[in-house]
Amino acid sequence: METQIPHDSAIGHVTGEAIYIDDILVNEQLLIGKVVYSQYAHARIKSFDLSEAKKVNGVHVVLCYKDIPGHNQMGPVIKDEPVLAEQDITFIGQAMFLIAAETEEKCREAEKLIKVEYEPLDAILTLDEAIEKNSLLGPPREMKRGDVDIALKSSKHVLRGELRTGAQEHWYLETQTCLCVPGEGNEINVFSSTQHPTETQTLIAEVLGIKRNEVVVEVRRMGGGFGGKETQANHVACWTALLCNVTKRPVKIRLFRDDDMIMTGKRHRYLTKYEAGFDDEGLIDAVKLEFNSDGGAATDLSFAIMERTMLHADNSYYIPNMSVTALVWKTNLPPNTAMRGFGGPQGMASMETVIDRVARYLKKDPIEIRRKNFYGLNDRNITHYGQTVENNRLYIIYDQILKSADYEKRRKEISDFNTQNEFFKKGLALTPVKFGISFTTTFLNQAGALVNVYTDGTILVNHGGTEMGQGLNTKMQFIAAAEFGISIDRVKVNATNTSKVPNTSATAASSGSDMNGMAVKNAIDIIKERISKELAQLWNEKDVNHPSVPSSIIFKDNFIFDSDHPDRRISFANAMKQMNLRQVSLSSAGFYKTPTIGWDKIKGQGKPFFYYSFGMAASEVMIDILTGQYTLLRSDILQDVGDSINPEIDLGQIEGGFIQGVGWCTTEEIKWDTKGNLMTHSPDTYKIPTVQDIPKDFRVKLTEGVPNPVGTIRRSKAIGEPPFMLAISVWLAIKDAISAVGNHKIEPEFSLPATNETILLSIEKIKTFKVLKTLKV
Amino acid sequence: MRSAISFILDEKIVDLDFKNFKEFSPTSTVLNYLRSLPTHKGVKEGCAEGDCGACTVVLAELVDNKITYRAVDSCLIFLPMIHGKQLITVENLKTPEGKLHPVQQSMIELYGSQCGFCTPGIIMSMFALYKNNNKPTREQIDNALTGNLCRCTGYRPIVEAAEKSCVHNCVDHFSNNEPQIMKLLKSISKESIHIQTHNQRYFRPASLGEAISLKHQHPETIIIGGATDIALRVTKSHELLKEIIDLSGIEELKNIVATESSIIIGSGVSMDDIIPKVKKDFSALYEMLSVFGAKQIRNLATLGGNLGSASPIGDVIPVLMAYNASVVLESLNGRREIPLNDFIVGYRKTVRKSDELITSILIPKPTSGSIVKSYKVSKRKELDISTLSAGFRLELDKNKVKLITLAYGGMAEITKRATKTEQFLIGKDWKRNVVEEAIQYINKDFNPISDVRGSAEFRKIAAKNLLFKFYIEGRNVI
Ligand SMILES: Cc1cc2nc3c(=O)[nH]c(=O)nc-3n(C[C@H](O)[C@H](O)[C@H](O)COP(=O)(O)OP(=O)(O)OC[C@H]3O[C@@H](n4cnc5c(N)ncnc54)[C@H](O)[C@@H]3O)c2cc1C
Ligand code: FES
Ligand code: FES
Repeated sequence: METQIPHDSAIGHVTGEAIYIDDILVNEQLLIGKVVYSQYAHARIKSFDLSEAKKVNGVHVVLCYKDIPGHNQMGPVIKDEPVLAEQDITFIGQAMFLIAAETEEKCREAEKLIKVEYEPLDAILTLDEAIEKNSLLGPPREMKRGDVDIALKSSKHVLRGELRTGAQEHWYLETQTCLCVPGEGNEINVFSSTQHPTETQTLIAEVLGIKRNEVVVEVRRMGGGFGGKETQANHVACWTALLCNVTKRPVKIRLFRDDDMIMTGKRHRYLTKYEAGFDDEGLIDAVKLEFNSDGGAATDLSFAIMERTMLHADNSYYIPNMSVTALVWKTNLPPNTAMRGFGGPQGMASMETVIDRVARYLKKDPIEIRRKNFYGLNDRNITHYGQTVENNRLYIIYDQILKSADYEKRRKEISDFNTQNEFFKKGLALTPVKFGISFTTTFLNQAGALVNVYTDGTILVNHGGTEMGQGLNTKMQFIAAAEFGISIDRVKVNATNTSKVPNTSATAASSGSDMNGMAVKNAIDIIKERISKELAQLWNEKDVNHPSVPSSIIFKDNFIFDSDHPDRRISFANAMKQMNLRQVSLSSAGFYKTPTIGWDKIKGQGKPFFYYSFGMAASEVMIDILTGQYTLLRSDILQDVGDSINPEIDLGQIEGGFIQGVGWCTTEEIKWDTKGNLMTHSPDTYKIPTVQDIPKDFRVKLTEGVPNPVGTIRRSKAIGEPPFMLAISVWLAIKDAISAVGNHKIEPEFSLPATNETILLSIEKIKTFKVLKTLKV
Repeated sequence: MRSAISFILDEKIVDLDFKNFKEFSPTSTVLNYLRSLPTHKGVKEGCAEGDCGACTVVLAELVDNKITYRAVDSCLIFLPMIHGKQLITVENLKTPEGKLHPVQQSMIELYGSQCGFCTPGIIMSMFALYKNNNKPTREQIDNALTGNLCRCTGYRPIVEAAEKSCVHNCVDHFSNNEPQIMKLLKSISKESIHIQTHNQRYFRPASLGEAISLKHQHPETIIIGGATDIALRVTKSHELLKEIIDLSGIEELKNIVATESSIIIGSGVSMDDIIPKVKKDFSALYEMLSVFGAKQIRNLATLGGNLGSASPIGDVIPVLMAYNASVVLESLNGRREIPLNDFIVGYRKTVRKSDELITSILIPKPTSGSIVKSYKVSKRKELDISTLSAGFRLELDKNKVKLITLAYGGMAEITKRATKTEQFLIGKDWKRNVVEEAIQYINKDFNPISDVRGSAEFRKIAAKNLLFKFYIEGRNVI
């Protein structure tokens, strides 16, 4: 069977025929919805007047919180996010009112006529301010092993420092969009660009005060998600549903790009404080970390994200004595949310900073320190939270990439280049990723599917995951075809729909294919069992002397046959007709829950992850030390994907994730002004990578011949998030190049993202330092 | 005089008369028009400001009796600007028999799409590349695709799809259909267009003379060249532009004349058309234009518009100052030539009188022995607005500085020369320690601000470094 099947929507994509929510044809009854949001970061609404706005010709309704029939709440876990503000405004971009009108212009006209009287209050807009004012979003958390303080005291060397990592905007190409169409009675049909249809359904039911069985949420595809539509797509969906509910008309809200950027949360910015103790050889004995994240004005998923930071603070290294403290701070900015890596990047960037600094301090190549501290194969293999690192691929990948990237030779060449060039410096870094696969909230590790077989031998697969470009549906299509032994063109994957597969988890945590794939397989196994039993019986009716047994019946090449009696053979399509005549059900639900995991959140101990995914990258950059501009010369990536279900799709995830990570590490910088306004609210000022920002030489490989030993679907491994963090290699290569300015004698000041400004200012510090030193001598 | 516009869509002439066409106004964008049609939903909006390329379409038009194909951002184009052109969208790429275009086919084969939202725009940029470059180089491919952001793929497969597909000598089913399209294009009148609706007036004069007299009659009217600046007032600020004179239909403004001693560029020439013409003799301008916006922007933006906006972060002004360029202004009262140095007088303020149009820009060839260089510092190297930019010129006499121009953008509220630094350098030896001393004067020349694109400190350091860089790079030339 051919494994390399194209993306199931590829033709639709390239012809423009693929339908996104804003493309759905709706009759002329459609109303356009608009969200009116606050202009203050922190304020009390003293009064408001909607009367003039309501009078605008073409405006159907203008709603405020009083018009919400159910709960005025849309927080996904903690109920601390009102759908529409009541008295308290806690960030710029917070929804206050909703307008539905015949056109966008009418909405804008009405918006201008809304009068609000605010009482501005002091706002907390930076992490430092939040820390100073002790503005916590929830209780701090701690995870530890050993006694880190004692270990630090007895360490030969100790390094301390701080790292700041920046926020990141998802910048999905399709902004948050939702279309609601009213049905009979309370029924409402919701077309939402959401990664979590079940939660969207739940919240709409709660907000409208109706039952969940009256809400159907459908997701054909998203124009990108990256975590930004895991919880925050719910917001737009709730707003649209409210307008639809009142007007009893189809209503659509599509956020304008700037509004999307202003209103929605981002990857959390962090301030990490670290302390590390190590010996002359660079063997690390103790690491103490304190993570401070900017949660924004409400909880959203901040604690789960912080938990993943804590669980990835070790990255790939065994740290005998480790303590991780985590604090999530409350500020007057939009609630920050999930984004690819989900806290992992901030945790790993911190540990990689520690490693890099240890190496620079000891004047050793960082890869030496990395390799020395890797988790062991048989010992030194238990994480600080008690999970054993099994099937460790770090050494294999390290050995391979060191060779394939020609690391040692290039290290030497770079060093020569740097000696010969005063104004351009090159840098090189190799960094690993070990990423835990599973939701750390254990019960979320479940998935459902519904597989229908029709009597013409075609299959319709429904599953609980959502397609946002990652190729989930393509993988599901392949799995169904492979399990049924039929050709791909007979399988169609349906739009995700809460009335087909209920009570699902978000498509997140890289787990989409793992879990939904297993659920699809489970449904297919059930149907195949029924078919096998019935076919065996059918053949036995014809020849009782040589019985067919169901377990010998094979599904292959669009046929079903008895491997004990190869002449007993029927085409798949014919068999399905027979099954129908013989009253066999050709539809089944499937279900899966991830086995063997268990995590005690309170103790911070257990086995949160089903398995780990490993990868490494080596990147080389060149910086112009007069402008701070950098060029990514080459990146080599080796990523463990088990037995890939679709190597090209996996490659796409690796490259795309990596480049998104490069953006986070370099040009993507988010700035707010002193009032809490987002200054980088459009692509004019917020710069994600273009085609010219990818490595000039880009070599990406998948590990080969290493199936996932734990029982995942077709022995594959998750791939959505891990490659994002490989971009840390680019960031540290930039640091390496900066460090070359001072002949690696001065530790550069460094933060993330390394914009040209960060780079230039860091270089300037080194230059000034050198000048001062010469003066002293 | 016509009040309606005509263009080709789906191989048929579409006539839009704004009088009977209530949903749209003359400042409606081509993107919004297309998205209102049930059959052109493939064209996507990602930003409505020219920065993402999701809305990319191709405009085909007759130039010297040949059809040219150009990728543009439909979110920045007002409907009347496509008068007399063929509008090609992603839906038009399949053959009439339903066969995929080579660029579509290779994008599928190479997994060039993931979420697919950027894909129609990418397909259209790649289609324009296909029509213009057989077997394009990597540089040409990058150039064609920089204006298309993709958040999913990491671009590698897209680049490979371009390499794989653009190999058929630019021939495809559009080539076969060209005679037919040419006939249709020729049938569209080139007459001036005056559109009057209940709250807007839009003039699209067909000749310079007419434009000048229109400007005379309506001095407060907004002029547009490529509209890449002005369109944002509609798409981002939702302003109602009451009166517009659109110069994009005037052939006289699209000429480039090269003489022995200079080049004269019409104010209506698009940046992309200027690039090949200045490569040899005006390399610093060439360098700057090569990183100007992205292909879709360069295909629209004009030199007249860049000077007209007089933005302190306009990229072309510093380098043109270094070339000692002049701006030619025309009105009913005649023609005058103003050195660029004297043209800009304040924040987005110029000496242009309200009835004058910029008609051309005159750039003298630098005398042999003088070096001109341009620099742009921006957060992202491509498709970004400068944090600061510079145009420098140096002439030496026995290694002593005879003439020096140091023009900076992004360092003050106007493009400004570092006069104190220049004065310091005049007559001095052009050598490292002198330049190192000179750069300290930059602090006296400028007091830049901190804004979203960079801090004052960063700007100061970078401004100094650019001068130093100029010295270092010049070393190799002199
Ligand atoms: C995505 C994007 C990227 C960009 N990148 C860059 C960049 O890299 N560097 C840069 O410098 N700019 C950039 N710009 C800004 C803009 O594209 C340029 O300033 C461009 O040159 C403007 O030309 P235009 O013809 O489109 O101007 P228009 O919008 O048509 O006009 C601009 C101004 O000039 C006036 N004007 C136009 N023509 C004339 C004339 N003949 N006589 C008198 N006045 C006239 C107009 O009235 C208006 O005030 C970018 C813009 C966008 C949207
Ligand atoms: S919509 Fe982004 S460039 Fe037009
Ligand atoms: S494929 Fe999703 S943005 Fe390009």
